Amino acid sequence: MSVITYGEAIRQAYREEMLRDKNVCLMGEDVGRWGSLYRSSKGLLEEFGPEQVKDTPISEAAIAGCAVGCAALGMRPIAEIMYIDFITIAMDVMVNHAAKWPQLSNGKLKLPIVFKTQGGAGRRNSSQHSQSLENWFVNVPGLIVVMPATPYDVKGLLKSAIRDDNPVVFIEHKALYFEKGEVPDEEYLIPLGKAEVKRAGTDVTIIATSWMVLFALKAAAQLQQEGISCEVVDPRTLWPLDKQTLVQSVKKTGLCLVVTEAPEEGGWSGEASSVIHEHCFSTLKKPVKRHCSIRTGIPYGPVLERQIVPGDESIMKAVRELVKGV
Amino acid sequence: MNTESLQKLYTEMLLVRRFDELCLSLKTRDQIYSGYHPYEGQEAVAVGFCGLLNKQDILLSTHRPHGHAVAKGVPVESVLTEMMGRQTGCSGGLGGGMQYLDIEHNFYCGSIVGSNLPIATGFGMAIKQQKLDRVCMCMFGDGASNTGAFHEALNLAAIWKLPILFVCENNQYAEAMPAREFVSCERISMRARGYGLEEITVDGNDVEATRRVATDLLARIRKGEGPFLVEALTYRLRGHYVGDPEATYRTREEVDAWRAKDPLLRTRTTLLNDGVDASGLEALDQNIKAKLTALEAWALEQPFPTLEQSIDHVTIPLTQQGGCACL
Ligand SMILES: Cc1ncc(C[n+]2csc(CCOP(=O)(O)OP(=O)(O)O)c2C)c(N)n1
Ligand SMILES: [Mg+2]
Repeated sequence: MSVITYGEAIRQAYREEMLRDKNVCLMGEDVGRWGSLYRSSKGLLEEFGPEQVKDTPISEAAIAGCAVGCAALGMRPIAEIMYIDFITIAMDVMVNHAAKWPQLSNGKLKLPIVFKTQGGAGRRNSSQHSQSLENWFVNVPGLIVVMPATPYDVKGLLKSAIRDDNPVVFIEHKALYFEKGEVPDEEYLIPLGKAEVKRAGTDVTIIATSWMVLFALKAAAQLQQEGISCEVVDPRTLWPLDKQTLVQSVKKTGLCLVVTEAPEEGGWSGEASSVIHEHCFSTLKKPVKRHCSIRTGIPYGPVLERQIVPGDESIMKAVRELVKGV
Repeated sequence: MNTESLQKLYTEMLLVRRFDELCLSLKTRDQIYSGYHPYEGQEAVAVGFCGLLNKQDILLSTHRPHGHAVAKGVPVESVLTEMMGRQTGCSGGLGGGMQYLDIEHNFYCGSIVGSNLPIATGFGMAIKQQKLDRVCMCMFGDGASNTGAFHEALNLAAIWKLPILFVCENNQYAEAMPAREFVSCERISMRARGYGLEEITVDGNDVEATRRVATDLLARIRKGEGPFLVEALTYRLRGHYVGDPEATYRTREEVDAWRAKDPLLRTRTTLLNDGVDASGLEALDQNIKAKLTALEAWALEQPFPTLEQSIDHVTIPLTQQGGCACL
């Protein structure tokens, strides 16, 4: 085991996959010279050269489109969109083409693409650089959606995403790049579509995604001292969803809080909540509760951003309300 | 250009320069939280072009907006405090350094590269259709000229003959991407030809030249001859953002060579040659600095927006009330 950052875990995943398969290539704005915004591809241009690591112009539609075309001919592109906020520009290619062509080919065409991006608040970036837009992709048949929260998960899931033959939307979180965690020294993969119980507990299940997992774990540790035992479950892949792990947990605890950074309206949090209601109706002591960001543009500056987005304090409050009704 | 007019432009450039320096200093003290992109070296573009607009004219700016805003006459108080995330900022402190609006001064900027060009066509269309005595100016960078939005907007503006001046501020880099490698043609202005427009390039470090070209083109646009695209050749003297790894994309020597072409230095030399006395210019500078020092002190006292303010105006009350039974 080594302790590394989330950003370094991503870099290792790239490196290992690029070494293993020459068809794996990374392209995007400043992924080469700068090694990406958070340096998660640092040194790869030097090591692998411009065929495997490509700096592109500011052309998100072309980055995504190029990925579809070259994937159709057997390459395995990782198309990086610097901020998920800019993915709006690549949406046509992703939604109308990457997600549709495999089916239209009657299964003959594979598009092994990773659309890799990062989202969320936490770095004081204001409303055009802090959004959580994952919900849109969950609603598009044909796309896989992954949101890893830890260095261990990001490495194992990224390697699987690169090896998968489906188009995968891989969403990192900007507040996580410098978070550290243990990662095995030997090679490993984490299957897509597999949730993980991040902390076992008996009183209430907290289903949380991405950055929210860290806050849920903090909240759970605190609540333990108040005598509330929380089980924290991270789906890791939003679609396909590992319903079994989620349902199993809630059947045990009988209470469920879903925490996402995206606002709740029209979101995946509603999907998760609905899955729990459908499968745990008889064991639920109360309806599933959701705790999500306030429906507004993420405000600039350090203070308000943290008030809009859930954090450990607000999660604790939501859990107490659920458990004790206060 | 007569000495008096040139001195006026010089003073405006000086304000933009000193304002940028103040921002830099506030950034290093963590009073500007993110998205501060220095403007040093490009002042002759902001002053030559944006400085010519009237209050009712539309200016669409970029993620590097403060030079444009100040040159257009958006009050420095509201620009600075927006960057500092204070209530008195033009977007109430909710937008920050690269996305804010000042509706009274017809100033709009945003941090999605290229998106302002298509939006400019809407302003242009409305101005034309409603026969308003206004024009629209749209600033963008060399990097933005590689977006699809740029190409769609130019074509639309050209076929509809819209009253828009598109100003490409080619500062040679888009983050770490040098225009010489990432732009397919030698001059971005050449791209105008593809849309049936004239190819116009100007020395963006020469304020007399930028002002001359701006005056000419805006006059033609007001006569209905628009749109136009002009490329202003300039240079970003500082990093893309404070502390970017500059060594990965350019050399010290290159930066120094451009420093010698600093638009303020050049104008100052011309003024001195024209017989303006150095102490007079020094006094101008001191005057600006004193004003900005006072501005800074005032700005640091301004309150931050409240949570209530940050969730207000997201959706305004529906026109037809009573349809929604919200819980
Ligand atoms: C659509 C989009 N893609 C990428 C970015 C990230 N980004 C911010 S500024 C910038 C460079 C812009 O270059 P240019 O247009 O030349 O303007 P300059 O920064 O030189 O003023 C990039 C790539 C963005 N903000 N928006
Ligand atoms: Mg540029």
